Amino acid sequence: MSEQKIVDVSNVSMSYRRTRHRVSSLKQTAIDTINRRLSYEQFFALRDVSFEINRGETVAVIGRNGAGKSTLLKVVARVLPPTSGRVIVRGDVAPMIELGAGFNPELTGAENIMLYGTLLGRTPQQMQNRIEAIADWAGLSEHMDIPIRAYSSGMTARLAFATATDTTPDLLLIDEILSVGDEDFKDKSKARTIEMMNSGCAVLLVTHDLTAVTSMSSRAIYLENGSSKSTGKPEDVVASYLDDVHH
Amino acid sequence: MSDVKVYDSDVKLVPVISQMRAIWENRGLLSLLVRRDLTVRYKRSIIGIWWSLLNPLFTTAVMYYVFNTVFKSRLPGGAPFLPYLLSGVLLMAFFNQGLTMGADSVATGAGVLTKVYVRPEIFAASSAISSAINFLIGMIPMTAVLLIAKERPGFASPLVLVVILCMTLFVTGLALLLSIAYINFDDSRSLITIFLMALQYMTPVFYPISVLGPHTKRVIMLNPLTSYLDVFRSVYGGGAVVTWHEWAMMIASAICAFVVGFWVFIRKWPGLVSKL
Repeated sequence: MSEQKIVDVSNVSMSYRRTRHRVSSLKQTAIDTINRRLSYEQFFALRDVSFEINRGETVAVIGRNGAGKSTLLKVVARVLPPTSGRVIVRGDVAPMIELGAGFNPELTGAENIMLYGTLLGRTPQQMQNRIEAIADWAGLSEHMDIPIRAYSSGMTARLAFATATDTTPDLLLIDEILSVGDEDFKDKSKARTIEMMNSGCAVLLVTHDLTAVTSMSSRAIYLENGSSKSTGKPEDVVASYLDDVHH
Repeated sequence: MSDVKVYDSDVKLVPVISQMRAIWENRGLLSLLVRRDLTVRYKRSIIGIWWSLLNPLFTTAVMYYVFNTVFKSRLPGGAPFLPYLLSGVLLMAFFNQGLTMGADSVATGAGVLTKVYVRPEIFAASSAISSAINFLIGMIPMTAVLLIAKERPGFASPLVLVVILCMTLFVTGLALLLSIAYINFDDSRSLITIFLMALQYMTPVFYPISVLGPHTKRVIMLNPLTSYLDVFRSVYGGGAVVTWHEWAMMIASAICAFVVGFWVFIRKWPGLVSKL
């Protein structure tokens, strides 16, 4: 039954060496080096985090800002290689993180669907067959041949959402459950997200919406300063988080 | 279940080989990125294509006036100056554009690269390829100038493709190295502009190598771009005599820049992506 285990994160730590003053210019670096003021500090974004997600499960990650939630998503998304520990992910991953990154304003709606879908790991052939359906779902069929710089921000968001959610992956990474566009589309996109979450794939959900955590997830992880402070039943984890917040 | 993609962070990527395989496996994405670059540049029109030729043609016109009319420089043997100059301007534009666009597209690709797993090398390669296509388009007026000057691209002209291939590899490798500087230091962009200007003068774009003294000549011949330019001029036109030594220099520098660029980049990328 090992195929049921979609995500296996074991003892993952992420650390960076960063300069104390966050220097980012050559001039400043040269000055600081000469004056011997350039000092580095080791910064741990994640410390010894382990968890698994099986097919059909939703694992929620909660914690304060800067606790390492986004870093954890990026590690699972393969964007950041862990400093130590091991990550195994089986199957297709759909990251629903800042949708529409990679859109180019000069390209038409159809061209952006092609490019964005391919960036998300699908093949151009697959995308070619899906352009119409995606445009239709986003309610933008009549606007496919114009550059998206002529779109409103709501239209762009709808196009991004429709493209990102067109396939059902094995693993869904969600950074806050999005609802985009106008009122109608908000309901529609939220419903689609929940439909995807219930489709039997594994879900890693990062959110500040604690009601969503208790109602939608099978397990929860509470991160603090990069370490998992408590894990287990969503109600218990949320309770321990709230306990800390109120003190 | 054998076709299920598995990501295991313990499986380490092999420098150069893994990266080249990633580019090959994502060739669909690569071609879309090239098409994006060209669409954005040419704005889907013939005028757009001509417009983007204005820059090299105008640069050539200005330099022609300055060096041919004002300084009255002459090439040895009375060879026509215009094809010589234009070939230099076009090849330098290929290099400059591929390098800066490539580094930029990796450095500014942060929006995508920090959210989705895509090898950034694909972005650098796509910029190099679209600069190569731009160069090919520039060869249309170049050919016209050659014909007007009553020179004719010779039998060796298909060898231009070797020059283009080498330059594409050369520029991709260097663009990856430059992107590391771009990401680490905000002010490296202005420094590179100065460096590229110096490099332009160190390449025989508008002067013949024969006017140089022995010491300067040695320095100029050490510049790999000189070998690209000499090979290009000798196989296509523009007037240059090339030695096997320059062919070797061109091919070796292309392979070196590509391998070193990919090698260093794969080592540095995990540290860079957390800075984006």
